[in-house]
Parts: sequence; structure tokens; C-alpha cells
Amino acid sequence: MKINIAKYYPLIPVYAVYLTMFLVGFFVPGLWQLVALLAFYCALGQSWNIFMGMTGYVDFGYVTFIALGTYGMALGITYFSQFPGLGIAIIFIGLLLALFLSTLSAILEAGIALRLRGAYFAIACIGINEGLRHLIEGAKIWGGSEGMLYWKELTEVFGTETAIQLTTLWADIAVFIIAAMAAFINVYYMRSKIGYALTAIREDEDAAKVMGIDTTKYKTIAFLTSGWLGALVGAMAWGLKLTHVFPADVFVIHYTVECIVIVVLGGIGTLLGPLVGGLIYGLSKYWLAIILPGFQLLIFAPIIICIIIAFPEGVIGVVKRRVKGTRLERYII
Amino acid sequence: MLKVENLESGYGSMQVLWQLHLEVNKGSITSLLGSNGVGKTTTLCTILGSVELWGGKITYEETDITHLPTHKKVDLGIVLVPEGRHLFVNMTTHENLTMGAYPKEAVKHMAESFELVYSLFPILKERAKQRAGSLSGGEQQMLTIARALMTKPKLIMFDEPSQGLAPKLVGEVFDAIKKMRSEIGLTILLVEQNVEASLNLSDYVYIMHEGRIKAEGSAEEIKGSRDIKEAYLGI
Repeated sequence: MKINIAKYYPLIPVYAVYLTMFLVGFFVPGLWQLVALLAFYCALGQSWNIFMGMTGYVDFGYVTFIALGTYGMALGITYFSQFPGLGIAIIFIGLLLALFLSTLSAILEAGIALRLRGAYFAIACIGINEGLRHLIEGAKIWGGSEGMLYWKELTEVFGTETAIQLTTLWADIAVFIIAAMAAFINVYYMRSKIGYALTAIREDEDAAKVMGIDTTKYKTIAFLTSGWLGALVGAMAWGLKLTHVFPADVFVIHYTVECIVIVVLGGIGTLLGPLVGGLIYGLSKYWLAIILPGFQLLIFAPIIICIIIAFPEGVIGVVKRRVKGTRLERYII
Repeated sequence: MLKVENLESGYGSMQVLWQLHLEVNKGSITSLLGSNGVGKTTTLCTILGSVELWGGKITYEETDITHLPTHKKVDLGIVLVPEGRHLFVNMTTHENLTMGAYPKEAVKHMAESFELVYSLFPILKERAKQRAGSLSGGEQQMLTIARALMTKPKLIMFDEPSQGLAPKLVGEVFDAIKKMRSEIGLTILLVEQNVEASLNLSDYVYIMHEGRIKAEGSAEEIKGSRDIKEAYLGI
């Protein structure tokens, strides 16, 4: 199969930004936590954008995937720490469990919610998210509302030194890797038949159907991919990094709303958008928390409203229009 | 070419089609006429599979396609020109047409399909780079038809192609339909409210009323029968 390199040019600016973030965080003392937070937002935005940006379906229950990813990692570490011989493989088992649990919930959501459209879809997703949370709490699954704590297990397997390294450094690096993967998959989809199908679905699902596009298939592909990436982010940024999980902390719609804000700020359905949105959102949230602690949300809401009214296509949407016809065009999608 | 037997379908608990039968011969123009709300659009959508089928049998070129999903039917060469256009308004004319060539077979023949639709609708070539949403009503209707042609169909179903068009444009659209049969050899199933124009165009006509076929015959027969025209078509 011939690989068309030019297709992947838009990845250059994306990876350049990620690399800069990484280097800044790594070499400037005291900035690693901030950079890790930004990478978390960018990765989430990028993962969420694969489904929402390309199909136009707003998945309010997206946090379900992140939460189940966290539980996957928690279960992996808790139960497989009995076999210390597995070593680092335990982390990979955790990731596999994250993928497995998110697949189950994707099947559940696809079965129930993907049949619906618009607001009904969004509400059904919220319902599933809340339902799962209360199921875990009520039926006392995986520790119920008391959650799971597994720092002890982690140190038993890896020793304190390595465990600290894993949670404070490698978990964050993994988020960068997932963000890079999400960007690659995003471009791959955009520039393939899948992307055409998804765009057709976003623009007019009925028309897409009568033109011979198997809408269910492509929606499911995008939904699963987006969910898997979210679960991986959850497994690393929450599961491994925090070494605890409580249902009341992870099944929180607030994070879905953050995803929406990030993607809308940056530009829905663009590649660079979630990255730029993640940076703007993360930095301003961080900065406002320092200069006006306690008031950041009060200030942030009107700023977001102004930006959305001024740039409804998002930052990258505006940039895209500006560079149209210039040499930069092929790098920015 | 297409044979529909005892077709039943509806929405939710409301049945719309009752024991509907229909046959479309290869190379013919067959019309399905009737007033508002008798189930014409539902019939087309049920044939294509975008409305759930409750019962009956659909045969296409000797194969049973009753339970095939929509996209497989399009792969087999059945296409619908939907009512109300359903264009991708934010894409250009050219992009809309490219989208039409989605099925595997259609991708292979994309270049000739472009040639074909541009010769049939020269105006679309001039508008190739223009956003579909900025086209005039008539041009949009032509683009919808052209996009359907890009799927490389053998049987093309039109749902009210003259809806909302100025009389002069209605003539153009009907001319294009005629050409599709005579020049490309397509088989056509037409749903219309514009009774006179469709009677002049069609070989065979079905009259629908309250979800059932109430009368059928060659276009000449229907034209000649005052009773049918008065009872079901209101003319």
C-alpha cells in the first residue's frame, strides 16, 4: 500500500507544540505539573473531538469512558499486584482492562443512545453515566462509594522509588503519547473514507444514508475510537497518577463540559483546535486561579461566552480561513 | 426490475402502508401518484430501508433484498433522490458530488460519472467551486439529482423532484429525468404531486390512497379515466 506522506503534514505543527510543551515541562523546574495538566486537557479534547467534531453528536456522557479507564487501571494494579513477577506488565494489563471496560460501556451506549439524535442522544449519555456511577456506589462494586486505593499495592510490586517515578513522571509522559496517538488517528480518519462518511453524517445524516453510507458502522467506529482514547487518558492521568479512584470524583459531567469548552474554543472538527483550546483553557484556568483564587469560574464563564460569540468557528477555524490559499494551508486542518 | 409485494410499514405504532404492491420494469418510468400524506414518501423510504419494514417482500433484479440494510441496496444500484434536497450545504458543488460517489463501484467510475452529470447539468460545472447552500433552488435540486447519479445507480427513485420549483425549472427537471432514461438507460420510479407532468412522462402509473394502491394502469389509461382522476387526484 502506498502511503501518502503529504496527508500527514498537518501533524507537524501538532507534534511541534507537544514537543515544546514536553521540553519546557521537563527542563524548566516547577512547570511539569502545569504542563501535565495542559497535556491532559489537550489529549481529552483531541480524543473527544474524534467523535463529536467529526459526527456532530454531542456526547455528554464522555466522562464515563474516562472514569471506566481509571477503574481499569485501578483493577489492574489492585488484582494483579498479587503477581509481582509481572512487573511493568501490570500497567499494560491495567490499560487493557481500561480498553475492555470502555468497550463494554461503548456497546451499552451505542445500543441505547446512538439510535437517538440531538438532545435525546446527549441526555441518554448523561443517564448512562449517572446510572453507572450509582450502580457502582449502590451495588458496592469495586469498593462502592469508598472507591479503591492502591498506592500500597503499587509500592509492593515496584518499590517506593519506582512507584513514585511511575506516578509522577511516566503517567504524564503516557498522556503525551496518547495525545500524539489521538492526533494521528484524527488525521488518519479525516483523510480517509471514514472521514468522508463521518463528515456526511455530520452534515446530513439522512442524505448520508441514502447515498449508501453505513451510518451505524461509521458512527460506532468513531464512538469506539474516541471512547478508547478517553479511557487510556483516564487510566494514565487519573488511574496511575493518583493511585486512587472514587466514583463521586470520576463520573462527573463537569469534565465532559470541559471537553466541550476546549474543543469549541479551539475549533470543532479541526485537528489543531483541541490542542489550542486545551492550552487556552488550561492556562487561563491555572492563571485565573493564581491571580483571582475563588473567582476563576466567575471570570471564566463570560470570557468563554465572548470568545464563542466572536469566533464561533473557534481559533483554528479563524486561522484556517486566514491561511486559505497560502502555503500554510496544508499544515493546518 | 423492482417488485414490491404486500409491503407494510409505518412509524411507531401507526401503520402507514397496507398490502402495497408495485412493479417497476427495466428501462421504464413508473410513477406513484396521490395527494398529500397517503404514504408515497414512506413507500420509497421503506423500499430503500430507511424506514423500518413491517412485512412484505422486495425483489430487485431477481434477488430478495427485503432485509438488506440501506447501504447494501445502494451498492446494488438503487438510489433515492430525497425530498427537500438534503444537500451538504457547507460543501461545494464538487464536494457534494464527490460524496455521492461513496460506494466502492462508484469510486472506480468517478471520472466518467463527473463527465456524465456535468453534461446532463452544465450549470453545475460552472458552480463547481460554489457552496451548495448558495445555489438557487433549481440548481440545488439538480445537484441533488446529480449527486444521486454519482452512486452509479441502475434504479433511481425521485421523491417530489418538482417541489418548490418555479414552473420553468419544473420543466427542466422533468427533461433531465427523461434524458436519464433515454440517454443513460436508467430505470425510474417517480413520486410526484404534479399529476399532469408526471402522467405525460410516465409509462405506468400507480395511484395511492390512504396507504394502499387504489388504481394502476398505463399513463394513457389513467389519463383517459375521469373516475380515477376525480376520486384520487382531485382533477
